Amino acid sequence: MRRRGASKPVTILAALIVGILIGAVLGYALSPKAPVATTVTAPSGDLEKLRAENKQLKAKVEELTKKLASAGEGEITIKVWTIGPDPPSEYRLKNFQIAADMLNKWLAALGSKVRVKIDGQFFVRPVEWGEYKNKFYLAYKSGKAPDIYLTGHEDVGFLAANGYIIPLDDYIKEYWDVVYYDVIPTLWEAVKYQGKIWAVPQDTEARPMYFRKDILKKLGWSDEEIAQLPEKVKRGEFTLQDLLEVAKEAVDKGLVERGILHRVKEGYDYFQFYLAYGGRLWDAQSGKMVFTKSAWRKTLQWFHDAVWKYKVISPTQFSGDWDKDFHGPFTQGKALFLSGGTWHKGEWVSKGLLTNEEFNENVGYMLHPAGEPGKKPVTLSHPLIYTITKQAQERGVADVAFLLITLVTDPHLNANHAVKSSHLAILYSEISDSRYKKEPFLADVAYMLDYTTFIPNHPKWGDYSRIVFNVLRGVESGDLTPDQAFNELLNGIKGLGSDAVIIED
Amino acid sequence: MFLAPSFALIAVFYLLPVLLTLLISFTDMDYSFQWNWVGLKNYVQMVSDPIAAKVFNNTLLYVFSTLTLFNVGAALVISLITVHIPERVGQGYRALWLLPRITPSTVYALLWLWAVRQDPTALFNWILGFFGMQPVNWLHKHPWPIVILVNGFVGASFGMIIFTAALKSIPADYIRAARVDGASTLQIIRYVELPLIKWPLMFVTAYQTLSLLTSYEYILLVTNGGPGYYTTEVWALYSYHLAFAQYGGVVKFGYGAALATVLVILGLVLSILYWRVFRLKELMIEPKIEV
Repeated sequence: MRRRGASKPVTILAALIVGILIGAVLGYALSPKAPVATTVTAPSGDLEKLRAENKQLKAKVEELTKKLASAGEGEITIKVWTIGPDPPSEYRLKNFQIAADMLNKWLAALGSKVRVKIDGQFFVRPVEWGEYKNKFYLAYKSGKAPDIYLTGHEDVGFLAANGYIIPLDDYIKEYWDVVYYDVIPTLWEAVKYQGKIWAVPQDTEARPMYFRKDILKKLGWSDEEIAQLPEKVKRGEFTLQDLLEVAKEAVDKGLVERGILHRVKEGYDYFQFYLAYGGRLWDAQSGKMVFTKSAWRKTLQWFHDAVWKYKVISPTQFSGDWDKDFHGPFTQGKALFLSGGTWHKGEWVSKGLLTNEEFNENVGYMLHPAGEPGKKPVTLSHPLIYTITKQAQERGVADVAFLLITLVTDPHLNANHAVKSSHLAILYSEISDSRYKKEPFLADVAYMLDYTTFIPNHPKWGDYSRIVFNVLRGVESGDLTPDQAFNELLNGIKGLGSDAVIIED
Repeated sequence: MFLAPSFALIAVFYLLPVLLTLLISFTDMDYSFQWNWVGLKNYVQMVSDPIAAKVFNNTLLYVFSTLTLFNVGAALVISLITVHIPERVGQGYRALWLLPRITPSTVYALLWLWAVRQDPTALFNWILGFFGMQPVNWLHKHPWPIVILVNGFVGASFGMIIFTAALKSIPADYIRAARVDGASTLQIIRYVELPLIKWPLMFVTAYQTLSLLTSYEYILLVTNGGPGYYTTEVWALYSYHLAFAQYGGVVKFGYGAALATVLVILGLVLSILYWRVFRLKELMIEPKIEV
């Protein structure tokens, strides 16, 4: 009995070994052959540059690690605050987590027992910019400010003048050859205040006028005419007046419910129409904002006509809902034009409102057309920036915070953000990142930066913007005629003082 | 001595904020939190601010309409009806009117936004549909009636509770005597009940005027002062917008505080006025006889 019982496990084991052997033989015979290894060589110049950069960066980390080693073991927490408010811009924070992981691996490899931890916040709608900034200032005053604070470039002057943030010139000089030499130069202008650099650019964008190709086709436009539209806009041959006419035709023929959509909340996009009529926002020489009377008159008249004469913008657009009155109608082909931003493309795709294929097939994009013949088409950019707060310096973590900013200002990490959220590159080398290159939309809209204007970096810019928004809301709702609106606008702007705004004819 | 805790509460939560608001109103403070004294500049600006004038008129319209139609008017009507119908039905009906007050304000505002939206399936338009009428964008076409309804449905319950309690405390003998004398229900209301609830009526009017003057929460949630050019912006909301809620995060604590100070002064003036006109002092004195 015992012998028979003992032989059973041996038999099973033998069968198992035989089975594994047969399986291995079969597997070897049937599995596809691995491709012959090919050596991909980067262009030797680039490779050397990369190696040199890597070496420098490692040297910096090593230097920093030595500094940190004196602090012994422990964890350095860096508090980072970022905002979308569009959800796809999540890499504004995620990149810090990736960078911290990378840094911790280096620290481990170098034998340091110090680790860096990101305590991050990424705010999305319903938190809008105003609320986000309120949170920052109140957190700062209660001594709980983040170490790294992402904000719009227009805040640099105010933050710097009031001691909220620290200048970064010395850091940038130190790390210049690592990555900062590669930043697109115009972006540095957006982060300067009184001759110093106070922030590192995070992204930029353009604000295109999107159009539905399928609707234009139904209006009788040929494929060639549709393809030529952005070029016509570029040459100033298709104006804001033409935009109204085409939109009206589409509405009258019942092809769309709405001719033109614009954002439903306060923002800076409306200034593009003013710029398109030849308005100026900023006088670089005096450092003041500008109010061009003739351009504002025409802009207000255009908005009035769009709503009340051509009936292509809804009088309730300003009290609308982002999904129902902006994203929805356009992505469903119920609206012909949409004054939006490059990031909206990212939002539509990530929300599943459009696939990339549907977007490429049915949606076109162009500059905001010139107001009238002879004027130039326009777009507007609002670069976002990373700043380091004074409280980070007081806590003794400004060095680490800057190192993290340097790590996320990386062509590949920043491309993560650019591709996912449809923002534009801030580094020359980012443009040749493989993922960035695969996104034709980003390459297509890059030319728009030649037509862009930055929002003025002036402490009273928010007031200017608020006055404009309220007056436009009055025009669209029918509360104000264009003349009344102009007077209200002019009075409001005069109230900001001649030391803030130049009023010109 | 016994009043010390309540004095401390008033000092910390009323007098101190008023003092701070008053001080800030003499500065041009923003997020730099600097006390730059500018004297009466904010008050001078207020006088010449055309928006402030519009907002002031809006506030008068809002307070007067909501107060007369709902906070006192509807509250009184509901109380009178519910004490004159069978007790259980009356109680149930009053309980329904408490729902808006006990619902979180954001949920309540959202329900209204759903009810008045432009879609044909939204409550208001769904009702219009029964009469073959076209859907209306209520918030755009009739913002004020909606704002007054939204606030009134919440506000009515306060007066309703006070009035009902007062009506129920009227000795039943008075009502019976009136009935024996042949008075109709309307006559009982007019000649017996209303005179006997004079004090609660005046108190609720005074209290709710002051309360409405400073309220903006539901307007913020429903129209945010729109839909047009400061269409439904009231004084307290204007102050809030300037002080805390600008898109670019640019704030005007100084000007906002000056606007808020005006509300405090207006509240004090109205309190004194109501005290005198309604002779509220008589309400507080010891009764001359023991009932």
